[in-house]
Amino acid sequence: MKKWKNALIAAVAIVVVSAVALYLNQLKTNRQPKLTKYTATFLDIFDTRTEILGYAETKEEFSEQAALLKERLVFYNKLYDIYNDYEDVANIKTINDNAGIAPVSVDPEIIELIDFSKRMYEETDGRVNIAMGAVLSIWHEYREYGSENPESATLPKIEELQEAAKHTNIEDVIIDRDAGTVFLADPEMSLDVGSTGKGYAVQRVMEYAREQGLSHVLLSLGGNISGIDGRIDGTNFKLAIQNPDLNSNEEYIEMVEITDGQCVVSSGDYQRFYVVDGEVYCHIINPDTLFPANTFAAVSLITDDSGEADAFSTAIYNMTLEEGLAFVNSREGLEAMWVYHDGSKVYSDHFEESIVE
Amino acid sequence: MNTKKISYLGLMIALAFVLSYVEFLLPLNIGIPGAKIGLANLVIVVALYTFSAKTALALSVVRVILVGFTFGNLSMMMYSMAGAALSFAVMVLAKKLNRLSVTGVSVLGGVFHNVGQILVAILVLETGSIIYYLPFLVIVGTISGVVIGIVAAMITKRVRMGVD
Amino acid sequence: MKKNDIYLICIILIAAVGLVIFMRIWQRTNDSDSARAVVTIDGQEYGTYPLNKNITEKITQENGEYNLLQIRDGYVEVLEASCRDKICVNHKHIHYQGETIVCLPNKVVVEIVGGEENDIDGATH
Repeated sequence: MKKWKNALIAAVAIVVVSAVALYLNQLKTNRQPKLTKYTATFLDIFDTRTEILGYAETKEEFSEQAALLKERLVFYNKLYDIYNDYEDVANIKTINDNAGIAPVSVDPEIIELIDFSKRMYEETDGRVNIAMGAVLSIWHEYREYGSENPESATLPKIEELQEAAKHTNIEDVIIDRDAGTVFLADPEMSLDVGSTGKGYAVQRVMEYAREQGLSHVLLSLGGNISGIDGRIDGTNFKLAIQNPDLNSNEEYIEMVEITDGQCVVSSGDYQRFYVVDGEVYCHIINPDTLFPANTFAAVSLITDDSGEADAFSTAIYNMTLEEGLAFVNSREGLEAMWVYHDGSKVYSDHFEESIVE
Repeated sequence: MNTKKISYLGLMIALAFVLSYVEFLLPLNIGIPGAKIGLANLVIVVALYTFSAKTALALSVVRVILVGFTFGNLSMMMYSMAGAALSFAVMVLAKKLNRLSVTGVSVLGGVFHNVGQILVAILVLETGSIIYYLPFLVIVGTISGVVIGIVAAMITKRVRMGVD
Repeated sequence: MKKNDIYLICIILIAAVGLVIFMRIWQRTNDSDSARAVVTIDGQEYGTYPLNKNITEKITQENGEYNLLQIRDGYVEVLEASCRDKICVNHKHIHYQGETIVCLPNKVVVEIVGGEENDIDGATH
């Protein structure tokens, strides 16, 4: 009799514990689906590394979302490509190949990009010029050769660059909106959308993501980072800005938070460059000197339009600090951080408000 | 049930309530819902030794519900309930075995209170990693169990004199 | 307090310490949920290496390209590579869940799966 009673007490306790667990489990599953953070990395778009961060119930669901964005990025990648031809689409290279020959009928997204790039040209007093292809391609060749053969790396001759610079007038890029065509009036000129294409594509893809009803997404295209909402728990996305000094033990020089719709972009001399006689020559070419700018190790921007961020970071990298500060501080919602080669930093008026530990 | 017993029970509920409040003010912040030192166990132990298992059970349930509604939410109350049920069952069985004193019983109560809550947390949160807190909580439960046991022994002696 | 109480307390405390030791060992030997480095080449999985074992692994491809991967004290880095830009070699070691080292020329991605979470959502390059 007594043993039965003991067993009963134990049984009741076990029943209570498991009933509670069951009940709580039910409560939780009813309240909200369990969203997990996922990331996807692609290496085949815009010749760089693409990362998508999002939240979904299952890996499959996230993969669908990521594929949706990837498809759009591939689309823009084809359109804004200056090195490769694609059978099914006329792109920037097609326009370049037809310079001085004929107007090319193109996708409206190319016209939009060129229009946007022209606006960036005006806003930056010509520091962002997509018509500089002739100059940039010379540097591209020397850089490619110099990276492959570091011992015999050389610089382009200034005469060669100056000759090419005669064919960089953005007025010669003629858009016919009604016909849907673009024509380069100067046969020697070519377009290079390196300073605007990626950022503009990110901006458009994020707009598309919003139209598709996606939320809590972070898209990074070669470090051109743009966010929708924030983390699923309501806090902001936290981003690290890479230290341009690759030999330093500190991988990051700053941590920033971005709010819904904000983006972060860095321009610097530490990613694409080559070395001649111990001097570093990066891929950002100053239109005034026709040589790579080297005042700063990097410039990082926070703003709310990814296309502008990309273009402005190139422009500001080419400016002196005074010009840059005046440019940034005169614009609403644009903040910047300049990093010198010795690691010292300068902030615009409100950049520090985004910094977190 | 005589008046004296009723008033004692009322007093004990009040005491359990106050002790829970004290505990609420000093939460052990280790990320487990409801993981506490278990001060209110003092009252349950005293009731178990001065009155009966039935009375102690009633006290325990009333305390969990009252405190749950006052300070916590429903899910917190459920965690408490699981801890209290397991702890109570173990204490009753241990007392019946008659090998341990009040202190030993109270230590078991304290330890199993935390074990019960962890078990539920593992089932609900569907993560086994919480089990890493278990040793820590077992030690906390043991220490508080010893202290509560000694105090409970002293109180029991005096309350018994009062009741008899 | 009776003698039995003291015994009980001792048993419980020993059990708690034993549990800690047991869980430490279990955690070290059980890799299912712990951190590991997953290596993919052009999207195809090449191999998985637990972070709790110190190894040096040469990731070779049919075309002769290679990346030398090292895992030490839970940190992963690429020591050497046949690629020309050496960005993967210059990349800082990685440790946190979701961190990656990418070698674009060789199409090699090293990603940390499981383990400690980092608090950073993305980084500029």
